[in-house]
Amino acid sequence: MRSRGSFGFVALALLGLGLLAVSLFVVAPAEAQEKVIKYGTMHPLTGAYSVLGRDQQRATELAVNEWNAKGGVLGHKIVWVSRDDQLNGAVALRRAKELVEEEKCDFIGGTLSGAISLAINEFACKNKVPYVAYCQSDMVTGPDQCKFGAAFMVIPSSAALAVSKYAFENLGKKWFAITADYRWGHSLLEGWMWQSEQMGGKFLGNVYVPLGTSDFSTYYAKIMAANPDFIVMNNLGADQTAAIKQASELGLTKKMKIVCSKTAMHTIKELGPVYDENVMGGMTFFWKLQDKYATSKKFVENYMKKFGDPVEQDGESGYVATNVLFMAMEKAGTVTDKEKIMKAMEGLKYELTKGPEEVRACDRQRVQSYLLVRGKGAKAKDWDIADIIAEIPGKDIIMSCEDNAKKLPFSNIKLPK
Amino acid sequence: MFADLPWNVIALQLFFGVALGCVYVLLASGLSIIYGLLDVVNFAHGTFAMLGAYAVFVAVSMSGSFFIGILSAVVIVGLIGAVTEIFLLKPLYGKDPLLPLLLTFGLSVAIPDGMKIIFGLIGKPVNYPSALSGATLLGPMIFPNYRLFIVLFTLVIMISLWLFLKKSDLGMIIRASTRDSLMVQVLGVNVSRIWTIGFAMGIGLAALAGAISVPMMSATPDMGVDMTMVAFVVTVVGGLGSLGGAIVGGLFIGLVVAVASFIAGEYANVAMYFCMAVILLVRPRGLFGELGRE
Repeated sequence: MRSRGSFGFVALALLGLGLLAVSLFVVAPAEAQEKVIKYGTMHPLTGAYSVLGRDQQRATELAVNEWNAKGGVLGHKIVWVSRDDQLNGAVALRRAKELVEEEKCDFIGGTLSGAISLAINEFACKNKVPYVAYCQSDMVTGPDQCKFGAAFMVIPSSAALAVSKYAFENLGKKWFAITADYRWGHSLLEGWMWQSEQMGGKFLGNVYVPLGTSDFSTYYAKIMAANPDFIVMNNLGADQTAAIKQASELGLTKKMKIVCSKTAMHTIKELGPVYDENVMGGMTFFWKLQDKYATSKKFVENYMKKFGDPVEQDGESGYVATNVLFMAMEKAGTVTDKEKIMKAMEGLKYELTKGPEEVRACDRQRVQSYLLVRGKGAKAKDWDIADIIAEIPGKDIIMSCEDNAKKLPFSNIKLPK
Repeated sequence: MFADLPWNVIALQLFFGVALGCVYVLLASGLSIIYGLLDVVNFAHGTFAMLGAYAVFVAVSMSGSFFIGILSAVVIVGLIGAVTEIFLLKPLYGKDPLLPLLLTFGLSVAIPDGMKIIFGLIGKPVNYPSALSGATLLGPMIFPNYRLFIVLFTLVIMISLWLFLKKSDLGMIIRASTRDSLMVQVLGVNVSRIWTIGFAMGIGLAALAGAISVPMMSATPDMGVDMTMVAFVVTVVGGLGSLGGAIVGGLFIGLVVAVASFIAGEYANVAMYFCMAVILLVRPRGLFGELGRE
């Protein structure tokens, strides 16, 4: 009995020691060895733009996975954390704080609302955390500029310039706008009004519509009375869907064209036959670009392999933002010196999803083309829902560094009340 | 503001307001019936309207007929309402009046999430029924057919509802139960069943509102939030528990939104809440409210 008892004790002790040893070997070296970069992103996964937010999140995941598969950045594995900002500025700020203070992220990215990106940018500047914005944002212009922010989608005025140029050349001069009543919508309208002055457009009027409006019929009587050549939609998501649907209900799409400063694949898909050849919209990326660029083809295929559906422009923007952030680290040769990394981003040239592009040195703004697509209406099949009718080069629509710093040329534009 | 516009444009604008108001009438009358009968403040009212919109989407994709869609929305969502009342609300009667409110609030959060899992985040479109697309010309006036349909449809529903409540035996019992359910029970009526029927009816009306809205905006999981808010504004303006109040309040708010969006579009929603605030200050029981009457 006694010997058996002591045997049992020895066995237990050995087992315990063994476990301890194993844990030392397994846990300790891993902790010491693992060098990581923590990257945190925020997306509106609930609320009016949730479809687009999900797209951003997916594309970020794809970019991070690709880098990790290549062995990370300068030998560092990327740890990615993502949060729902609920398309709400206060929530987004809280998430950004969480990402930086609790999750210890050294780099942040994301968001889909220009207004929210401005708030995050301010937070990033104060805390010296590099922030790559995925959305159309004014933060790279004028006084909002700070060396820790970079913007990866065309800024609203550039989008408006690109679309309006086509519209005034091809659709007519008389226009009426429906504008989402917040900063992004106002910036678009500013671009339109400036272009209208340059190209002899005739501005007939504008209605500001609160975000989340579902009935637009009450706005259309005014537009029918004004009888423009085309209606400009400065809105997005569910708002745009309802606005176009009701315009078609009233027979407006037969009498005039509809031009969306920014549109989305899911909007076109959802509207189906209503989004016909009389409805046009701007986009930074459309999957059919794969017929034009090999880089687009590779990107679209990789995304579809992982997620099924083709990628939206918002996802593409996040993919490029994430990639450029890591490319800047490689160029700078550091993953910790944040100022050096931001400096390396300036003037960085790359070819990721479209033709050759660069991040402009003066304000870390991505210089990229803007597409105009036209709906296929009843002829649409699966995701073949629109045709690209124009690709306007980035350098034609981006404000010059000088204008940008001085908030020109739009400073003289007075928005209608 | 209106002076430089042709009168037919103004008339069209007011017509849009009435059509919009009709959707509000359906929403608010359901909310009002439920409150009047069960004393339940249904925070999930718009959520059931959203279910109605999805029911139309499913039924139309299967049958191809919009009218079958509307019918199935009322039947299916009405049944869901009945089941909700029997299994979730009934156990809470007689307890803290806050509990049904919390329950319906919980439903308004949980059901949309469930719909996101089933149908995804992208809205589901329903086309205008072909018989109702296009517009009718009446002299210098143009009326979009679908909006005309909404007005006529609401008229028919409200008249039938009124006839049902005033003329039928069941309607009489329902009305009596809203006044004094204990007395009705003493007379040998199964009040518990009346409550179930009343709740299902209210939910059916919400489903109708969602169903006729869906061709105009497509069904999205989050569409119920706004509809709940509108239903409450209209009910507060018209008066809690009053069917007439729901009708007048709904049309009134529809017109307020129409006029406000004409004058200053960005204040259309604000105008709605402003009206509610004024009514609350001047006449807290609403225009036709039964409650709080001296």
